[in-house]
Amino acid sequence: MIDDHERIEELLAGYVLRSLSGADASEADLLLSEHVPGCGECRRTLDGFQVVTADLGFAVEPVRPPETLLPRLHRQLEPHAPRRRPMQMFAVAAGVVAVVGLAGLTVSQNIRANNADVRADAFANAAQLAARDDARMVDVGPVQEISAPGEEHFYLVGEGVPGPPAGSIYRVWLVSDGVTTFVGDFLPDELGRVFLPIDFDPNRYDDLWIAVEPIDAPTGAPVSTEWWSARGTTPAA
Amino acid sequence: MRDGDRDDLELHRSLSQGDRGAFDELYRRYSPSAYGLAYRITGQQVLAQDVVHDAYMALWRAPEAFDPARGAFRTFFLSLVHHRAVDTVRREERIRARQERASNLEPVAVEDPAEGVIDAADLADRRVEIRAALDTLPPEQRQVLEMAYFGGMTQVQIAEDIEIPVGTVKTRTLAAMRKLRRVLDRSATEDQ
Repeated sequence: MIDDHERIEELLAGYVLRSLSGADASEADLLLSEHVPGCGECRRTLDGFQVVTADLGFAVEPVRPPETLLPRLHRQLEPHAPRRRPMQMFAVAAGVVAVVGLAGLTVSQNIRANNADVRADAFANAAQLAARDDARMVDVGPVQEISAPGEEHFYLVGEGVPGPPAGSIYRVWLVSDGVTTFVGDFLPDELGRVFLPIDFDPNRYDDLWIAVEPIDAPTGAPVSTEWWSARGTTPAA
Repeated sequence: MRDGDRDDLELHRSLSQGDRGAFDELYRRYSPSAYGLAYRITGQQVLAQDVVHDAYMALWRAPEAFDPARGAFRTFFLSLVHHRAVDTVRREERIRARQERASNLEPVAVEDPAEGVIDAADLADRRVEIRAALDTLPPEQRQVLEMAYFGGMTQVQIAEDIEIPVGTVKTRTLAAMRKLRRVLDRSATEDQ
């Protein structure tokens, strides 16, 4: 973990502008999950930069949207209560989600759980996806997979998720034609909440596996006996 | 806290309880800024309309995503619009041809110009302050900042585009953000 605040500030500046990529983005993810929450100076810097980026939006000349837009929105405003699907999970998940070992995949780009704006954006997207009539919500062990046809991403969401035994972690794979693709690891936060946006097209995979694995286990395929499948295939198959 | 921010909080509270009138008022208040920003970034009216539509639907469906303890509503909402617009640009690489528009903040040419846009006085004042703050930046810092923010470009893309080292892009970006933060903090304090 870097502790050079000049470098950290540089990463945070790029991060709030959404202009990081590659190793810088991965490094920022790590910072945001492991360093920033416990560093007052970095939290103040991040908050200050976020206000700047929001303010920049107001520098642009306002333009009246097409007159058809508000009626289009009105047609889609469903009543708030009763809701068709349980959305409470997105509200309670607004706390910090502990995420580790993201393997440098694109999933890490969207997690950034300690950033309020990005997290809020991801929650809103997940809620929107879950509210669709064609949304699929599948229980996979302790969490629920939320996806929809045509969407090239999905979410893993959970409440009351038990922490794995000491030295273990929840590990996620996608499976296609018997080939496993390691997606990442996660831990629930202190309240048992999990919220993971995952930038993989679920329609391109046959199954999703989640397993409780030793932290130092290889990521090729599940090695433990405690695992769950979204579509019913087995790691041994 | 500004008066407008207090009004926004009240509107958001009402919207959270399913008040469509509050939704309409937040639409009236922020849709021109949101659409202007989305159009600036995406360069296409259809895409900009989708970005603003999705942002408002997200607000309606998950109002709890805004946490008043973390800042003003307008900060939250414009960030939401910016993120969605940048994500759209990244998905639609063909929009790159419109990057040059990011180099200035003049009104964009649209089929239906923004004549008579109702712009709340506090937002108009803030616009003046933000533009003044941007004007304090050295041109080379402002360039990289605007390419990132309005062009939706990564630092690597910016470096390639203007043929400077990535490290220089990072340095200029940080310098620009630091200065803007300082100047905007000061102007916000003076307003209160």
